[in-house]
Amino acid sequence: MAARSMLRSVWTSFAGLKLGATGSNVIFQQGTTIPQLSAVTIQSRGLRQVVEKQEGKTTIIEGHILNTPKAPEPPNPEAKCPIYRWNLQHKYNYTDVLLLSQFIRPDGGLLPRRITGLCLEEHRKIAICVQMAHRAGLLPDHKPEPPANQIIKKPKQQLNRYLTCWSTDSVKPIYKTGLKWCKRRMAVGSPLLKYNVRYGVKHMNIKH
Amino acid sequence: MSSFSRSAQQWATFARSWFLIDARMQPPGKIATMCAIRLQGKHKPIYHAMSDCGDHIVVMNTKQIAFSGNKWEQKVYSSHSGYPGGFKQLTAAQLHHKDPKAIVKLSVYGMLPRNLHRRTMMQRLHIFPDDELPDDILANLTEELPQPREIPKQLSEFTQEEIDAFPRLWTPPEYYKMK
Repeated sequence: MAARSMLRSVWTSFAGLKLGATGSNVIFQQGTTIPQLSAVTIQSRGLRQVVEKQEGKTTIIEGHILNTPKAPEPPNPEAKCPIYRWNLQHKYNYTDVLLLSQFIRPDGGLLPRRITGLCLEEHRKIAICVQMAHRAGLLPDHKPEPPANQIIKKPKQQLNRYLTCWSTDSVKPIYKTGLKWCKRRMAVGSPLLKYNVRYGVKHMNIKH
Repeated sequence: MSSFSRSAQQWATFARSWFLIDARMQPPGKIATMCAIRLQGKHKPIYHAMSDCGDHIVVMNTKQIAFSGNKWEQKVYSSHSGYPGGFKQLTAAQLHHKDPKAIVKLSVYGMLPRNLHRRTMMQRLHIFPDDELPDDILANLTEELPQPREIPKQLSEFTQEEIDAFPRLWTPPEYYKMK
């Protein structure tokens, strides 16, 4: 990124020059990469810290590369999806907030799949687990900022809930449940998580 | 205990004990099953339906009960006053707002056997919406029962060491700016 920005600054400085004889030269340089800079290959990127120093009348702005400790090796490094790399496919739930918090934005939204590198099914599972965690109140610091509202609304009734797959406003009450053989069941949890590892004999009950 | 005298052993077996259950973040159905078993006396080896061996149960913090799924909006409690036009249907959320004790009471009532003992067993069930208990009930309590559901930890409750010990699963690409 720094190399590219440096290249761009070099190109713009050359473009600013108004040289009659070297006009063709300028076009040539803009089209191709400068060989000296392309030899620089950036292999490992560390976090940079910008440090400002004032010595009398001169201010020195330096960028130091911080030493980040080596991250632990995943057990399955060849897989594409991060969850498959760490062999966590059927092992997480809405309660594993430490895992879910790595895929969300500070305001609670999910990061795009092309950035996180998750495969489609895992992305959907994580999405539904994050929704359930938000509704259970397990992510209190990741609420979206309310827009500047002058009208102070009445606080809604705080009801504790867990494993809520549907949004609270979208669900209607079941006035007539029906007879046992044709009962209208209430959904709990998600069918996407039905292959999660369970240490008991019973299946996960989605229809209550 | 074998070291007790006969009269003390007799007293210990047939005494009516008082149990305490904290219903904070618990599903009311699971609380109700625990209550129903102990109100009938089915947790005792000397159980018999006619021998009135049930215990007292005190349920506290019923205001903070937790339903799984969307039951707060979907579950409907119906009642009919007997008069025409007296059919009322309330969602669990509306009923809880009107009376925080009602959901636990109705769940336990439905789980007890449908005989004349049910009313006396319900009289032995004491429900409190908050954790403030009157002194005479506090003095009677013998045992607190463990909660049926494990309350999950919020992200703010984890220590920084635990958060650091959990490995980063993925690294963001260089061109992406985390907003």
